[in-house]
Amino acid sequence: MRTACLLVADLPLVAALRAEPDLAGCALGVTSAAGAHATLISVSPRAARRGVWPGHTLAHARTLCAALVARVASPAAQGAARQALVDAALSCSPRAALAAPASGALAREAAVDLDASGITARFSSEAGFAAALGARARRLGLPAAVAIASSRRVARIAARLAATARAAQPADETPTQLVPPGAERAFLAPLPLDLFDPEDPLSEACTRFGLHTLGDLLALPPRALATRLGPRALEWIALARGEASEPPLPRLRERRLVEAIDLDHPIERLQPLLFVLQGLLTRLLARLEARHLGCGPLDITLDLASGAREVRRCGVAAPTRDVRVLVRLAHHALEARRLAAPVQAVHLASEGHPLRRDQLDLFRPAGPSPAALGQTLAALASLCGAERVGAPAVPDALHPDALAMTPFAPPAADAAPNASQRMRAASAAPSRDAAATRPSETRSDFTAALALRALRPPVSAQVRIQQQRPAWLRSAVANGRVVRLAGPWRTTGGWWSHDARFAFDSFDVQTSDGSVVRLRLDHVQRVWQIDAIYD
Amino acid sequence: MLLSPVEVLLQELGPRLLRASHVGARKVPTRPLATGLREIDALLEGGFPRGGLSEIAGPVSSGRTSLALALLAHTTRAGEVAALVDAADAFDPGSAEAAGVALARVLWARPASPPEAARCSQRLLETHGFALVVLDLAHAGRPGASPRLPRATWQRLARAARATGTALVVLSAAPCTQGCADLALAMQALRAHFAGTPTLLEALEIEAAVARQRAGAQRRSASLRLALHLRAA
Repeated sequence: MRTACLLVADLPLVAALRAEPDLAGCALGVTSAAGAHATLISVSPRAARRGVWPGHTLAHARTLCAALVARVASPAAQGAARQALVDAALSCSPRAALAAPASGALAREAAVDLDASGITARFSSEAGFAAALGARARRLGLPAAVAIASSRRVARIAARLAATARAAQPADETPTQLVPPGAERAFLAPLPLDLFDPEDPLSEACTRFGLHTLGDLLALPPRALATRLGPRALEWIALARGEASEPPLPRLRERRLVEAIDLDHPIERLQPLLFVLQGLLTRLLARLEARHLGCGPLDITLDLASGAREVRRCGVAAPTRDVRVLVRLAHHALEARRLAAPVQAVHLASEGHPLRRDQLDLFRPAGPSPAALGQTLAALASLCGAERVGAPAVPDALHPDALAMTPFAPPAADAAPNASQRMRAASAAPSRDAAATRPSETRSDFTAALALRALRPPVSAQVRIQQQRPAWLRSAVANGRVVRLAGPWRTTGGWWSHDARFAFDSFDVQTSDGSVVRLRLDHVQRVWQIDAIYD
Repeated sequence: MLLSPVEVLLQELGPRLLRASHVGARKVPTRPLATGLREIDALLEGGFPRGGLSEIAGPVSSGRTSLALALLAHTTRAGEVAALVDAADAFDPGSAEAAGVALARVLWARPASPPEAARCSQRLLETHGFALVVLDLAHAGRPGASPRLPRATWQRLARAARATGTALVVLSAAPCTQGCADLALAMQALRAHFAGTPTLLEALEIEAAVARQRAGAQRRSASLRLALHLRAA
């Protein structure tokens, strides 16, 4: 089995540059905390050339390099960069997983292991695969080194070796290290043991014994080594011989992508927040593009300075990769409700969905485009409230005041009958029973149907009763003597609950002013109401 | 002298050729939006104008809502998408389904006030692809009255409808578009029919009169019988 390793050697620096690409080429230092006495954990090559190193305090570093730009390390941005590395790997291989984090001097690196078996069917060679993988990572703002070997640990060591050679290479080339099958021993033998893990006690013990390279280790008898250094020495020997066994890589099914950033200074106003969101969305869309997916509904999570957390959801009518559309949707979602406190961190999450292609019909007008419809729905939700916008639905309830709405997603063009189907439907006479039971689907002609106008809430009415029937009516919608009357029809329900129970006697009433209304007696509240108008 | 194929084409078709830039500017007559009701479509010479502002005004039980639902039904069953801005919060989905409306093709917005409804309508009219936007202002705010929106608002809505070719139909208790409508229908209730044992409301007879039509003869009317379709439980 061939395995590749995609490795970013300095994740804090890369995450900072990915969030602010304008800082590329600057003398940049990433600090562990805010303030002049914070320690630098990563520095850019330009800052390093001025003598600034990780471990310096920011004040000290500024005495060495006055133009040093400092940024506080953002765990959220580093997490997103790590996930973006997985996305770059998944764009080239179906099996990829984040490698276990290293410790000590190598703690800043992030690596992804991916299955490279059979890649020559798609790429011309392993070198071509490595170049394509590096290019995909660079497109996501992650300059990474690539190595291919027969095991994950060897590939990772090879990637570390390649990353150290990065400074000597042009920026648009990927540092690559290929270890041919069976050549692991020859490749690893001259390498220093520190490339494994310098903090490992076994590495320190080997150094005390005067063993500096893996070749030194392999020259000794394994049994004697295991006696003196413990059974883990045998693992190292197996690794150096290319004999280590590893479980297979999992197939990643997670479609939810998260982009996030911790802000150095809290943001109070909408426009700067939108600027930050635009950057996050751009990076999120690049990751989705790497997976050949579009952006579905967005969840914007805002960590506020007060300690609270707010979540805003933007519905997306159809998966899209248009950043302007998504920024507009985020704008509507954010302006719908004022934020209670300044924003300290922003998390953006979305599920990737395959992009939908619209097939236009020659004989039927095109409806609104998904992107435009998404913007319109968001604008309407912002104006009226999300719960007051949607497609109407007939409620599955007995209560006369029940109301139902569903998310508006007009069916695709092929869901409606086409011209030839309509002609066939017109020529076939529908049965009377079918027309009675499913009027909207089977009636081919349009009869003049009398409609009801609902009154929400019902309008209260004063009613005079004669011979146990309404005889006179006074209300805001209909007034006068009751001219004609039909009913009553009793509707009851919710008897199992004191709060939900209802009982109405309804009448269809025509009053002397010409109005035809639906009048009802509410037996629970003992009031007369008009709940609908025939119009 | 031999002519190139392009020159031959130019000679033959020259007078009939159009510059590509002029094609979009040509005024293409658009088919009006029919209601599917024979009497009303005949009265309106085909239906409600696309790209125009129409008004249906009338008192309670004059058939405004029935006419709007017939229009929605005919539009949505033809596969087009429509929107209903329901400032009155009076839309009854059951009644609409019984009238033949394809509910999945209707975007229902329920704004809280008439100015908000005007903003919603403006947004919908600016979105290409909606064949019809119905703005229901009848009894919005308080029963029995139609709210007054500024004339500038109606002009803006009419302009937006013209730009996208969407038919904007306003329902109100009294004329309210202040002369901006391309078509104004005045509705009136004639009589209600109760019959049977036990007595049931069967139908409502109404009259629709063209109060204003930009390109057509004025003051015509038609009467119509609206039958009550009971929804299957």
